[in-house]
Amino acid sequence: MYGLILRRLGIGVITVLAVSIIIFIGTKILPGDAAQIRLGQNATPENVKAFRERLGLDLPLYQQYLNWLFAFVRGDFGVSLASDVPISSLIADRYLNTVYVSVLTAIIGVPISLALGILAAMFPGSLYDRVLTFISVSLVAAPEFFTATLLVLVFVTFLGWGNAVVVGSAEGKGFFELIVHFALPITTLCFVIASQLIRMSRAAVLNVMSSPYIEMAILKGVPRRRIILRHALLNAIGPIVNVVALNLAYLVTGVVVVEVYFGYPGLATLIVQAVQTRDFVLIQGLGMIFCMTYVILMLIADIAAIASNPRLRHPK
Amino acid sequence: MTDFKKNDPRYGAMGYQDEQQLFEMIRRGASRRDVLKYFMASGATLAASGALFGSATEAFANTPKRGGKLIMAADQHGPNDTLDPALFTSAADYFRGRMFYGSLTRLTASLGYEPELAEEILSNADATEWTFKLRKGVEWHDGKSFTADDVIFTMNRHLGADSVSNASSLVTMVDAWEKVNDHEVRAVLSSPNADLPIALGTFHFKIIQDGTTDFTTAVGTGPYKVKEFKPGVRAIGVPFENYWSEGGYLDELEHYGIGDSVSRLNAFLAGDVDAMVNLPSKAIEQIEGTEGKSVWSLEAGAYNNIAPRLDMGGNFSANEHVWKAMQLLQDRQRLLKGVLKGQGSLGNDQPINAAYFDYCDEIPQRELDPEKAKWHWDQTDIGSTPVPVVTADTAQGVVEQCLFMQREGQKVGINFDVKKVTTDGYWGAVWLKEPICTASWNMRPTANIMMTLAFAPGAAWNETRWENEQFSQLLVDVRGETDAAARKQKYCDLQTIIYENNGMSLPVHRNYVDAVADHVKGLTYVPLNNFGGAEAPVTLWRDDA
Repeated sequence: MYGLILRRLGIGVITVLAVSIIIFIGTKILPGDAAQIRLGQNATPENVKAFRERLGLDLPLYQQYLNWLFAFVRGDFGVSLASDVPISSLIADRYLNTVYVSVLTAIIGVPISLALGILAAMFPGSLYDRVLTFISVSLVAAPEFFTATLLVLVFVTFLGWGNAVVVGSAEGKGFFELIVHFALPITTLCFVIASQLIRMSRAAVLNVMSSPYIEMAILKGVPRRRIILRHALLNAIGPIVNVVALNLAYLVTGVVVVEVYFGYPGLATLIVQAVQTRDFVLIQGLGMIFCMTYVILMLIADIAAIASNPRLRHPK
Repeated sequence: MTDFKKNDPRYGAMGYQDEQQLFEMIRRGASRRDVLKYFMASGATLAASGALFGSATEAFANTPKRGGKLIMAADQHGPNDTLDPALFTSAADYFRGRMFYGSLTRLTASLGYEPELAEEILSNADATEWTFKLRKGVEWHDGKSFTADDVIFTMNRHLGADSVSNASSLVTMVDAWEKVNDHEVRAVLSSPNADLPIALGTFHFKIIQDGTTDFTTAVGTGPYKVKEFKPGVRAIGVPFENYWSEGGYLDELEHYGIGDSVSRLNAFLAGDVDAMVNLPSKAIEQIEGTEGKSVWSLEAGAYNNIAPRLDMGGNFSANEHVWKAMQLLQDRQRLLKGVLKGQGSLGNDQPINAAYFDYCDEIPQRELDPEKAKWHWDQTDIGSTPVPVVTADTAQGVVEQCLFMQREGQKVGINFDVKKVTTDGYWGAVWLKEPICTASWNMRPTANIMMTLAFAPGAAWNETRWENEQFSQLLVDVRGETDAAARKQKYCDLQTIIYENNGMSLPVHRNYVDAVADHVKGLTYVPLNNFGGAEAPVTLWRDDA
């Protein structure tokens, strides 16, 4: 098993490296560079040239990449091309925002959705199951900005509770204060991940339920609740953990719309802005964070799946 | 201080009776709009009457109260937010700069200037040498004293071909900055420039401390000092207790960006922020109908245009008949009413409108005339071949001006192929490179600065690449012109020459339209940018504090 983990880690490192090269090439293909974008409409050939020299954009491409790579390996994210601020200080605040929102969403959203999904699997075809299916399928179809707009309309415009955007800093707030602080983004994201989690956990459990050993248990007269919680669920953990991990990764990297809509700075918006300013140092730094988040979360999911399933631990 | 008002050419223009009328109106509670209407009717120009209102109401306004907190919402912001004045690019930068820094001069609502860190400003007879006597007893946020070295250090960052300053083009005529003594500096110019003190009042010429290289925080002379600054997150200022002048009334002034206009409006309506920039025009009526919220609009000379490159594009943009037809196909009225909801003014294919002091009102307004456009088009052999026009949504109405032109053209068999590209990277990759493309311009403090930047031959931003000898000659001559009548005539000629020969279509001028809650007082009206020309931080205060 340790060999397996090490192998997966190795693949992870290669993935991260490959992604960094792809991102680098991608930023260089885009029209305009950081110097031009930074000077904007004010660019003249002289000051663009001066700026390029200052930012090191006049070096050959491979050298720019290697410079960045060596610094990164030493743990130095570098300095933003767009504002001369260290990347680490640009990321720090936003990273906290992102982590708070995704962790709180996960803490609230994941258990509730899993419970709802498994409950639906216990009584397939019941009224409860059908209503839940209807709601979750509708939610899958509703984009985040739509859910967010509805929430603002109901809670802020009509009821007059809370803020339409996230106001102020999250610093120094306790657990419940944080939930209040990020109430609307968390609720929006809970709806988004819940629909998928409910559908997947229900499907995964029902899938196991149709296997021969469960039929055997039913024939033996084991109560349905015991079958699901003791026998079926453990075997369904693999796919469920994978879906949970993918959703968590999405919460860290993909919530641009929610961040923009509620006006709080997070990592997802930052990478969009970084692309707009052609700040390849920042794009690389964020790309690495996102990529590593995926790699680590997927690794954890795989380990969990293996740990829960002896067959995977001893491959033939 | 009153002496300096004389530098402002408009103050002299108001007679005693008008002045009394103005004060009377304000005493009776007339709004800015009423005053504008009255003075426009009596023949004053837009900016002049707006400015008069501003300075006259100041005299009547309540004394500012201290205390309280205000949150001002900008739009564009991001990791490229900076505290280095030479590198400012956005309205958010300008506003933040005003919180923390001071400048030699301060622009007034009528685009004249008042002394700020310079106490007295003198020039020689032909405006080739300017002396700035600096204010004594001004303190930096870190307790050091403000001296001539700081000014020299700041100004030298804008000089030279390798300067990375965004505003170096405004001071290209300055050969050197010389220190006379600890409280006096001198600028030596290679050619006359009577507008220098005005240029130095603009955003990028905020004075920084001698030797500053670290811009993660701001050590300035402004009314607020940095409590927090994180690029793309927020800036918070707290009062600087040793500020040399009046201002900085709030306990805390927070400034941050909400990029999405719908979210920004939501936040403003919900009371999460006290003011917002760039109110979308479709929300103007909603704000006007909301208790306790108002539109904060500045009549300005900002504009949108479509510029053909006269030196490229073969038979398309280089052909005189093509751009004349384009100018005649501009549906100016519709753009102004339909798209800008009246928050702007008609453009006349030249950059100077009534918001500028040197506006010439004698040039006839060019109107939509498809028949005449058709005649011009028939002089070319383009026929129904589509002419490409590249545009991006860089400001309200920019894309629409192309679509309206396209539609009017279709009616008479003229085809335009309007390509909309992303705003991202537009200025570097498309603008000044495509044969026909669009731009959006901010207002500049004087007609001369505007024309020098974008119309002088050889200027980097000469969008159509036209060259007109008479124009270049006049543009230099007028800088040294001291006779008022002759000056007016020369500016009229300059505007007429652009109107007739430059080739760009300039259908509308945009106002700066923001929204503000009624408890926010001390608003400014310098028509160069949002939030009162980004001059508001000094004077803002809270009525209910």
